This record gives sequence, C-alpha cells and structure tokens, in this order.
Amino acid sequence: MTRYLIRRTISAVIVIWAVATLVFFMLRAVPGDPFRAMLADVDPQAADELRRKFGLDRPMYIQYFLWMGRMAQGDLGNSIYGSNVSVSRIIAEAFPRTLSLAGLAFVISLILAISAGIVSAVRKNSALDHAFTFFAFLGLSMPDFWLGILLIIVFAVNLQWLPAIGYVPLSKGFWPWFSHLILPAIAAGTPFSAIVARMTRSAMLEVLNSEYIKVARAKGLTEQSIVFRHALKNALIPVVTVMGIAFALLMSGAVIVENVFAIKGLGRVLIQGILNRDYPVVQGAILVVAVIFVFTNLLVDVLYTVIDPRIRYEG
Amino acid sequence: MTETTDSLPLPGSLVETTPRRRSSWGWLRTLWRSKPAVLGLSFLLLLVIGALFAPAIAPYDPNAQDFEFLEAPSLAHLLGTDDLGRDLFSRIVFGARISLFVGVSTVLLSSVIGVFLGLLAGYYGGWIDNIIMRYIDLQWAFPNFIIAVYLVAVFGTGLENVIIAVTLAFLDDFARVVRGMVLSIREREYVLSARALGASDARILWRHILPNATAPVIVQATVSVSYAILAEAGLSFLGLGVKPSTPTWGLILSDSRTFISRGWWLAVFPGLAITLTVLSINFLGDALRDIFDVREYEQEEGGH
Amino acid sequence: MFQRLDKQMRKKVREMLRWAYDFDPKDPLFGLKKEELRGPRMSRRAVLRLMAAAGILTMTDVLAACTAPAPPTAGEEAGQAPAPQEAARPGGELRAGWAGTGEIRTLDPAQINQVLQFQITSNVLGGLTHINPDLVAEGDLAVDWEPSDDGLEWTFHLREGVTFHNGDPFSADDVIFTFNRSKDPEQSIHSRVLANMEEIQKIDDLTIKIILAKPQASLLVKTLERSSGRAMTIVNKRALEEMGTEQYGLTPVGTGPFKVVEHQLGQGVVLERFEDYYDPERPKLDKVTIIPIPEPEPLAAAIEAGDIQLIGGNAPAAELIDRFESNPDLVVSQITGPGFQALWLNPHREPYVVPDFNKPVEELKKEPGFMVRLAIAKAIDREDLIKRALFGRGQPAFGTINPAMRFFFDTGINDTSEQRFDLAEAQRLLADGGYPNGEGFPPLKLMVTPAGKREGEILVDILKKNLNIEVELDIKDFPVMIDLFDSMDYDMLRIGSGGDYDPDDALVDWMQTSSKFNGPNRPEDMPFGYFSDAEVDELVEMERVETNLDKRKELVQRANAITSNKVAAAFLFHPLDILVYRKEVNYPAVSRIPGLVDLDRTTIEG
Repeated sequence: MTRYLIRRTISAVIVIWAVATLVFFMLRAVPGDPFRAMLADVDPQAADELRRKFGLDRPMYIQYFLWMGRMAQGDLGNSIYGSNVSVSRIIAEAFPRTLSLAGLAFVISLILAISAGIVSAVRKNSALDHAFTFFAFLGLSMPDFWLGILLIIVFAVNLQWLPAIGYVPLSKGFWPWFSHLILPAIAAGTPFSAIVARMTRSAMLEVLNSEYIKVARAKGLTEQSIVFRHALKNALIPVVTVMGIAFALLMSGAVIVENVFAIKGLGRVLIQGILNRDYPVVQGAILVVAVIFVFTNLLVDVLYTVIDPRIRYEG
Repeated sequence: MTETTDSLPLPGSLVETTPRRRSSWGWLRTLWRSKPAVLGLSFLLLLVIGALFAPAIAPYDPNAQDFEFLEAPSLAHLLGTDDLGRDLFSRIVFGARISLFVGVSTVLLSSVIGVFLGLLAGYYGGWIDNIIMRYIDLQWAFPNFIIAVYLVAVFGTGLENVIIAVTLAFLDDFARVVRGMVLSIREREYVLSARALGASDARILWRHILPNATAPVIVQATVSVSYAILAEAGLSFLGLGVKPSTPTWGLILSDSRTFISRGWWLAVFPGLAITLTVLSINFLGDALRDIFDVREYEQEEGGH
Repeated sequence: MFQRLDKQMRKKVREMLRWAYDFDPKDPLFGLKKEELRGPRMSRRAVLRLMAAAGILTMTDVLAACTAPAPPTAGEEAGQAPAPQEAARPGGELRAGWAGTGEIRTLDPAQINQVLQFQITSNVLGGLTHINPDLVAEGDLAVDWEPSDDGLEWTFHLREGVTFHNGDPFSADDVIFTFNRSKDPEQSIHSRVLANMEEIQKIDDLTIKIILAKPQASLLVKTLERSSGRAMTIVNKRALEEMGTEQYGLTPVGTGPFKVVEHQLGQGVVLERFEDYYDPERPKLDKVTIIPIPEPEPLAAAIEAGDIQLIGGNAPAAELIDRFESNPDLVVSQITGPGFQALWLNPHREPYVVPDFNKPVEELKKEPGFMVRLAIAKAIDREDLIKRALFGRGQPAFGTINPAMRFFFDTGINDTSEQRFDLAEAQRLLADGGYPNGEGFPPLKLMVTPAGKREGEILVDILKKNLNIEVELDIKDFPVMIDLFDSMDYDMLRIGSGGDYDPDDALVDWMQTSSKFNGPNRPEDMPFGYFSDAEVDELVEMERVETNLDKRKELVQRANAITSNKVAAAFLFHPLDILVYRKEVNYPAVSRIPGLVDLDRTTIEG
C-alpha cells in the first residue's frame, strides 16, 4: 500500500509537471498582447517597458526555466493586470469560494441523490421511482447555466427569497454564506446528483437481488435493516468510484455557474485570465485545477481500498 | 461534463463472437419497446428534419432584424422576437443545425481517433501503449469542459475551432473504453488462432477486435453527443463559441440574458431546445445501454 | 435660441456672458475673489466664470443662470433634482455594484488603467485639483495657484491641516514624492503623462512650484486631476513603504473622504468614513461597500432586489436602462458622456484605400477608394443605430470632440459634416466607387469585442440593408483587438474612447499622425495608421498650447471638422453617462461629474 501510494504520488507529480509545461507553451501561441490591452488608454510604448519587466522579451526556453525555477519555490508570479498582485494571492482568495460552492453542492446533491436512489431501488417501478428517474434525466440534460438563470429569476427576482448574486465568506455567519451559495450550489450540483442517484439506484438493485440479501430476507430481517445495514454499505462502493468523476463534473459546473452568479472563484479567474491573456493567472489557475483533480483521483482510489477490503493495490 | 463513461455501468466483457445480423435487429426491437427511447428518437428525428430543411421550415431569415423588438409569441412569431427584432422560432430552427452538427461531428471525429488510439495502445502494448496512455492520463486529470475552454482560448473561437477543441477534449473517453476492451480480448482463443493462421495485424484488428468494441463505442458515442451539445452551448454561453452571427442555442441564450425579464420566451425556448435534445439523446443512450447490458448478462448466465 | 428671447433677457444674457469672459486667462483666480472660489457653495457668477475659464461655457448655462433661481447644476439632462440635504439622515451604509468587472484589481493610481478603478480612488485619494460636474478644475488639495507670465511655472498653495488616513500630515513633500514615483516608468504606467513636467520645487511646506517644458492648456483638468489624471494622485510614502506596493494597491492610504478598511480581490472593497477629512461636512455616509458584478443580469437583479443601491463602474448595458426606468424604486440619471465610438475603416485595405489624405475633400471625392469610405460613413443612420443599439441613449457623433466638452463641441457638425446621413447619396457614391448596389463588394470583417457584439450585429444589418453589402462580424477579446488595431491589421473595427474631458484627450490621442492610437505598431512600409493629415497635425499642435479660449476653440473645431469630412473614421455616437440608484439614495447634482461616482455628498435614507 505504501509503495503504491508513493508510486501514485510520483506519477501525479509528473502529470502536474507535464500539464504545467503544456500550458506554458500553448499559452504563448495565443494571439493577443496583454500589455497593449492593459495600457490601451495610457500609452503603447510603455507596454515595451512592462514586457521587459515581466521578462516576456526573452527567449521562450529561458522564460520557461525561470518560471519552473520560481514555481519550484511556490512562486506563481504576478498578474499582468495591476502588476503588483501575485497570482498566489488571487488564487488563494478565489479558492475558498470555489471550495465552498463545490463543497455545498457536493453535500446537498449527495444527500438528495442517495436518498432518491435508495427510494427508487426499494420502490422499483413505483410512481416515485419513475419521477426520480425522470428528474435524474432532466438534471443531466439541462445546461447548468440555464438552470442558474431560471433559479435567479424565480427565487431572487420574483420571490425575493434569496440574494441573486455574490458570495459572503463563512466567517460572516452561516446564513449569509448559505443563502448566497444555495442557488449556485443547486445549479452546479444537479448533473452530479443525477448521476449519483442513477448510480445508487442500480447498485442498490444489484445488491438487493444478490444471494446474501436473499439469505437475510429468509432469516426474517426487517426490510429497513436489510436496506440500511446490509445493502447500502455494499451499494455505496460503486458510488464511491464515480466520486472523482462526479467531482470533476461539479468543478466544470462551477466554472459556468460562477459566471452566472458573479462569484469570483477559480472558474471565473480562469475564464477572465483567458479572455485577458493574463498568462501567469491562467498558468496558475490551470495548475491548481490540475493538482485538485490529480489528487482527487488519488484520494478516490485510496478511499476505494478502505471501503472495499477486497481490493489490494500491488506496488 | 466529463468522463461519463465510467460513471455509468458499462459492459466489461462482451460476446466472444462477432455479432450476427439477427442480434442487431434484436436490439432494434428491444429499443422499440422502450417508451422513452421511442419518444427521444421521434424528437431527434423531428429535429434532424428541422435542421436539414431549416430554410423551408423557418418562416423568416434567422438573421433579419426586420421586426419589432421583444414581441411576445404570436401566430406571426411562434416563439416571439428577440432584442434585435429577429424571429426566435427561425433562429432556433437554424440553431438546431449547429448543435447537431457540432454534436455529431465532434463525436464522429473523436470516436474515430479515439478508437484508433485505443486499438493501437491495447493491441500493441509496450511503448506505444505507454505513450498513448501517458497522454490520456494527462487529459484525464482535467474535466473535458475545462479542456475545451482552454483549447478554444488557444485556437480562437469559430465553428472549426470549437469542433477541434471539443473533439480533442472527448478523445480520451473513447481511447480508454476501446483499450480496455482490446486488452480483455486480445488473448482470447479466436484472436490467437487468427494470428496463428497468419492473419495480419490490420485484419485481426478490423475483423476480430473492432466488432467487439462497437457496442461500448456506440453507448459512449451517444453519451458523448449529449455532452458535446452541452459543451458547445456552454462555450457559446461564455463567449467562446462559434461565429457570432450564427444562431446557436447557447448563443441565443447568452445574448438574450439581459432581456429575459422583459421577454421570458427568450430564456425559456432556447434552453428548452437544448434540454429536450439532450434529454432525447440520453433516453436513447439509456435504452442502448440496457440492451447491451442485458445481452451481456444473458451470455454470462448461459455460460454458467 | 438666442433670437427667441425677449429684449430684456437678451441684455441680461449678454451682460452675463461679457462678465463671464471678462478676466485675464493667466489669472489663477480668473478675476474672482478667493472667497468666491471656496466651497461648499459658489456663487452663480463664480461658476459661470470658472466654466468660461475651462472653456466649457455654453449658452444653455448662461440662460439657466439668468432664469433659474438656483446655481446651475450638472449637465443639462441631469435627471433628478437633488433632494434637500436635510431630508436625509447622515450616516448609514451604501452598497454599490460595480458593473463590468469581476474584481477591482488595483487602486494604486500608478497602476490604474480603467475608469471603474479611478471612480473608487476619487473617493479615497486626493489630488491638487478635481473636476466638477461642468468639467471645471477646482482645488482639492491645492487651494489656489498662479501661473507665470510665460505659462511655464505654476505656483500652487496647498490646503492646510490635511491629514492622510494613517494620520500623517499632508505637505509639499508628498506632492514631490508622488511626482518622483509617477515619473519612474518602473513604478508607474503613467510616466509619460508627466513628460512635459520638468520638476516640482518645494517653496515651503505648503507651497510648490511646477516647472513645465512647454505651456500646457490641459494641466489643471488633466495632469493634476485627482481621479482621471492618476499621475499626480497623491500617495502616502510611509504607507507604501510599510505595506509594499501589492497591499497598497488593495488598500491605498490617501487624503480622501473615505478610507479603505477591507479589500478582497473579487469580493469587493469596503470604505468607511474618514473622520479627519478636511471638510468636516463630508462625507455623509458611514460606510460604502463596493461589489464588482460583471454580468448584466445579476447586476439588474441585485439592484432590483435591493441587494445594492447604486450602480457604478462601467455603464450598465443599454438594454437594462429601460427596465430600470420603468421601475419606480430606481432613479436613472443621464448626462452627456465624455467619449465617442467610431467605426474604423482601414485606409490601406480594399475597397476603401486612400493612399494620401493630404488633398482637399473635393479632390478626394473623385477617388473611388474615398467614395466607398464616404459611402459607408454616410449610409449609417446614427439615429437608427442609437435607437436600436442604445435604446435611444446616445448622441450622434461626427468627430472625436464630445458634447461633454461643451464649449469646444460644434453643435452644428450634424448638419455640416460630409458624413451626415444621406442614403441616396451614399448609394450613388458606392456605385461610383465601383460597387453599384453593392455588387462585387469584397467580403469584409467587422471586428468588435464581446461587449460590442450586439451593436456590431446592428451595424452589419444597417450596411446590408442600406448598401446591400455583406460584412461578417469578427469578435475578438479586447487584448487581441487592440493589438490588431495598433498594427492596422483589420478591415473594419469598432472602438472608441471614454473619459475624454479635454480636447487633447480627443485630438492629441487620436487624430494626429503621431497619435498613440494611430497604428503605432503598423508594418514599416505603411506610411501612416488610420489617418494622417498635415493640416490637422498642425492645428492640434497649435491648440495644445493656445491659452486664448476662443482661439483654441476655433482650432479644435477646425481640426475636428477636417477629420470628420475626410472620414478618419465613420463616427457613430457619443454615449450618455448613466448613473442608476435606488430612490432611497440622494445623489446630489454637485457630485454628478461625468464618468465619476463621487460619494462624499451622497446620503441614504433608512
């Protein structure tokens, strides 16, 4: 297990390095000059001076090694716009927002989805099952940004129950934080919960039809204890395997949903960085996203062995 | 919007013989029995007809700013007009062309390339497998949609670039599925015997291995089409989509965002068009998956 | 207008005008007494004199002064009369949404490059002068000033008893520190703004002398202005050293009415009342929270739901304004905006090549390339464009000089410009230029930013309908577009300017052969960028240093007319400056400065 972990960690680091390298060189193929844009209403010639300051006038391989060297020390550089702001700071401030959004979406969708999945499986082919199935399909098929817009119109503009946009950190109190995040969390979490609900349903069905549950039934255990004591635990194993993928789904949902709800999270940082050609910011954001995914996948694999003792990874 | 393959139960191993004609008719019959699938198919058929004959079906030029702004749906304008005085129904009909075209063409491209890579990696193994798999692992580290966003940013916007970006973003799904498939069957008896009889690699891949990969690839393709359509809509929504003058559903929604409180139809109909299309494809995909699963179980039970 | 007045009124107006202009242009106080210039309220006569001195006095203002009992207020279209100050209880918190941005990346004047940033620093930092609603420079940290006879040396007397937010007293040293910092290209992106300023001498703690290389008509309104000027916005030395530039960019320390107490990127800026502000009457509010909101729909939802009470930053999308106006909870205040938008036609590309603009217009009109150019400019019905693209919120443009510059703006240009809308003539010109009814017209691309997309679609439609030519829209992010604009790599491109308070902003920056926007990165074999005319170059050089207002006005208008007639660009419109707030906010007219959101006199109810 330890050897496996070490091996996986090393390969994760290599993947991250490769992503960083790819992003570095691809970005420099992008047309458009950020310094000219920034100094649009100031002075074109001053752009040259800034370019020199940022080292963008040097040969690309030198830029690359300098950048790698700094990155190894944890320095992601400064944003080109408002050049005194460090990328680490931008990301450090954006990250908790994305984490809040993704976390809340994760928890809410998981609770809803697993409950719906269990009900569907236990009451197979009931009206409820059909309804849940339909909503799961609908959730997978609705563009998340559209759902976000509809939620704003209904709950913020018409009913005025919840704020339309923005983000309030948890430190300002639970309700302000929650009330700002609940609509975006629903919009971002819907496709995710649809998948988990479907997954739970089919896994539960499979377990409920298995031999040992039949044995348990024969022993006269209550349906309740069968479902919760025995079936659920085993049914959750395949659910955990999709967690990594589902989390990725949630994060991409967050990219768009943050744009609908004006939450300056990682997704917005990334999109704005791309639109502005703010190289250091895009590099930094992509890198952080890569780190998150690589390690989520690693975590999921490890979690898998914990939940299902039958699985052993060989070094 | 990402690696859905693994999120849905896919057959690990399939029939060991090449599929016969009878079975392909068989699954069509099964398909016919699934009500959602039939519903989805009908809607898609309607959509394809609409897209193909858009100029005949759309009552007006989708780009002509000839009418009053923001007119509510009426007989003259079935779905109302937008903020520039264009007929929304005509725009949505023409929009179907782009959505379907992007959906189908990206999936065709990425399945062909992905299947090819998967076959190479799975069949030859060794350094070929290593290189291909390292690349796929790299892509695996990211959600497809974020990859597509990034690639459009690098290549620039426009129909071709969106297709390239979405194609590349979905490549790894197919390669993964096919590689796993090939790994599981390349040591099977009939493959080994074909090789012993001196069949060329190309022939073995084409005649014996590829047919076995059809089923999972078809299921994967259906899922991918729906995700590609959503991806295109999302890119358009973020301003990273196809040409600005081309009406696409995502773009219509994005452009009219500021008008939705003055014209609900602007928010509802394009969103509905995307949702119904993707829903239909998902119904279809679900039915197909069931069919292949069923076949697998039957086969296994028969073998016991 | 003047003709329709009765005799007595005419006499009154004439007297008022004569009085307004009766001062020595070199007189720092414009022949006024110091007391007349001091705040908080100036006499009607003093305001007129100041407007005349700044070159922005119009007949409308004089008339208003003669008829209205109150002193003239912000622009002629200012929506709402200010509610009496006493009606509102001082204090309270104002939450403002900042449109068009996801975050306020920097508030360090040396790094600021957007209007929406200096809108905030105008509330936090100070400068020697500050413009008022009529674009007149008034003293901020300077109480008065006097130029030398040659206009090269300016002595400024600084305000006494001013302190920074951190308690440091403000003195001449701070002005010099700011000057040295801003002049250094390593530290400031505005170093070139100070190119004409040779040095600042300290006479004593509260007196400085500025030495110029050449006389400069725009010194007070542009270079020394506290918000739009940026180069001489006063920064605090100790705070900069203690915080470092990164933190200072987020929470700058200045002498303004509000201090920054919290600033998280993407989260917003929290301002609090500065207790020791030099005017004890200001600010009225206890707290201001600024929340960046980039998307139009969430912005609209937020102000409608009352999450925010005022919209600052970039102008809210035109399509939202009708919706806001129909909402009884909201106030929409519109005044003339200081900017222009234009459609640039690359004169080095077919089908509108003009190899040389240095010919009389009549001569140019015989060249097919120029005919096509003029045809396009004439085929655009500005009223129609403004109605559809801006929902009526704009004024037709025929040059870079905008109507907010009042005195310099030629109100007759709508009727005299060669570019004025005339469809039959446009079609005839296009035919004579080689494309009868648009036949054979090459496929061209019109470049716009994502935000300019809607307007671009309308322009494409207008050209198609009026000239039967097909133009394809090409959307580029702003950084890419500006790059291509500078290297003259486009067919048609829609770009313009905002925050132009002085004719120099419009002419020096845009219309000279050496202007900073005029194809600075064009290929070497291209003799000029989008426009080059020797007469315009000369006229602009003359107006820059002309201190006689009438003469300067004449030079400015002549230059502007040539650029219009020779189609330096197809000018489209001057946008309106629109401020939206909820009805519980009292935003007084004295604060209604075009392009700015000064909150020091704003109050809020309940």
